[in-house]
Amino acid sequence: MVEYFLIPAVQILIIFLVLLLFVAYATYLERKVVAFMQVRLGPMRVGPYGLLQPIADAVKLMFKEDIVPAGADKWIFMFAPVITMIPAFTVFSVIPFSDSHTTVFGYPVHLYITDVNVGILFVLALSSIGVFGIILGGWSSNSKYPLLGSLRSAAQMVSYEVAMGFAIVSVLIYSRSLSMIDIVNAQKDMGWWFAVIQPIGFFIYLICGVAETNRAPFDLPEAESELVAGFHTEYSGFRFAIYFMAEYANMILISSIAATLFWGGWLSPFPNVKALSFLQVVPGVVWFFLKVFFFMYLYIWLRATLPRFRYDQLMRVGWKYLIPISIGNVILTAVLRLYFRT
Amino acid sequence: MYRLTTFKPKSFISEFFKSIFLIDFIKGLVVTFYYQRPSENITEQYPKERPSVAERFRGAPRLNKDPENGETLCIACKLCQLACPIDCIEVGSEKIEKKNILTTFTYDIGHCMYCGLCEDACPTPALELTQEFELATYQRDFIWDRKRLEDGPVITKYKR
Repeated sequence: MVEYFLIPAVQILIIFLVLLLFVAYATYLERKVVAFMQVRLGPMRVGPYGLLQPIADAVKLMFKEDIVPAGADKWIFMFAPVITMIPAFTVFSVIPFSDSHTTVFGYPVHLYITDVNVGILFVLALSSIGVFGIILGGWSSNSKYPLLGSLRSAAQMVSYEVAMGFAIVSVLIYSRSLSMIDIVNAQKDMGWWFAVIQPIGFFIYLICGVAETNRAPFDLPEAESELVAGFHTEYSGFRFAIYFMAEYANMILISSIAATLFWGGWLSPFPNVKALSFLQVVPGVVWFFLKVFFFMYLYIWLRATLPRFRYDQLMRVGWKYLIPISIGNVILTAVLRLYFRT
Repeated sequence: MYRLTTFKPKSFISEFFKSIFLIDFIKGLVVTFYYQRPSENITEQYPKERPSVAERFRGAPRLNKDPENGETLCIACKLCQLACPIDCIEVGSEKIEKKNILTTFTYDIGHCMYCGLCEDACPTPALELTQEFELATYQRDFIWDRKRLEDGPVITKYKR
């Protein structure tokens, strides 16, 4: 009883709170890194070096006036941000932070909440639900720009999910299992991270991940200068904060999945090489967080560097280039695996 | 006319491989990465570091006194009052023993446009526009009298 209910409940609470903290400080990281890349300093006044800036932002958003536009569909307007946020946070229940076990009061505790047999399918399914929140948010706002922004955003997310799915399938050919823990263990057995064996799949996954979360350079639907603010134009105060948190949680999610599927999860680099076994001293959780941190930094780095795709260019890249390349990658991988056992 | 650069068509193969391996894109990433070094960053953190302005910068006015005996250098000639295009200055004087002695001097910094014509018109080094530009106050006390002009503007030092 305790094992099946109480321990996961405590784990969920801890992971949720830690995730909220990471989301808040991801906004801080973004502002600082983008600022440094633009030769300026970013937030420096709020705490020492601006470290309390996310707290100031949260307090400001909580105290802002809550406006529901006239003629908006009230219940859907209020519920849409929640629809985006819930899947973004729920998916973290299947992501393995480490495979080490500890015992707390005699009960075995592992560092992931659960290990579903169909882990990666669960992740893909829930990230597709997130699209609903965007469509409903833009549609229920009763205003031109959010409507256009939400339709474009939904179309973009749906089209890049196809290529992302194929990139993930190319990993599954090697790991023979959909469970996230088995995927990481397969990387350990092979001795190489999947990013080395499957570089094409890795890059396609990264590009599709950036497009899924509506981040630069694929952020036309929510770009500040193009469509006012896209689907979240009419949202203010705490509802906007919920959309914002959902976006950053999605970023952290894509980073975690990239780290788990392609960069070895909690494994150290070259996990089977005896000469580098001093790297095992660092616990798996720390490796995982370093990898996720690197991917978040990459997200922000891309935002600071690249100009935005126009919408037709964006759809063209998704359908005409990424999908054929990812299907070709799957076929190539399957052929190599079947005939040459590589 | 000659063009400064000529267009050399690149070979199809090199362009193809550059787009496959995203070479230009990675070069762009390297450029923004190197912009992060602190030597590139020239942001001045304002309340802690004040900008250093030029010596001839026209800021808040000050009425100078003679450093040895502490008397005012102003000879009450009223040339600054004549020179001001906005009529911000009012000079009051009285004649004592055939010499004009300054009694009151008011300067309206709300209307002043800091053009410096009064400073140029003054024959003595009495009226001077200093380098002080932070003149915001909490009350509407824009008319400075003689005492405030002689004291000079007050600079607030921020610690953080």
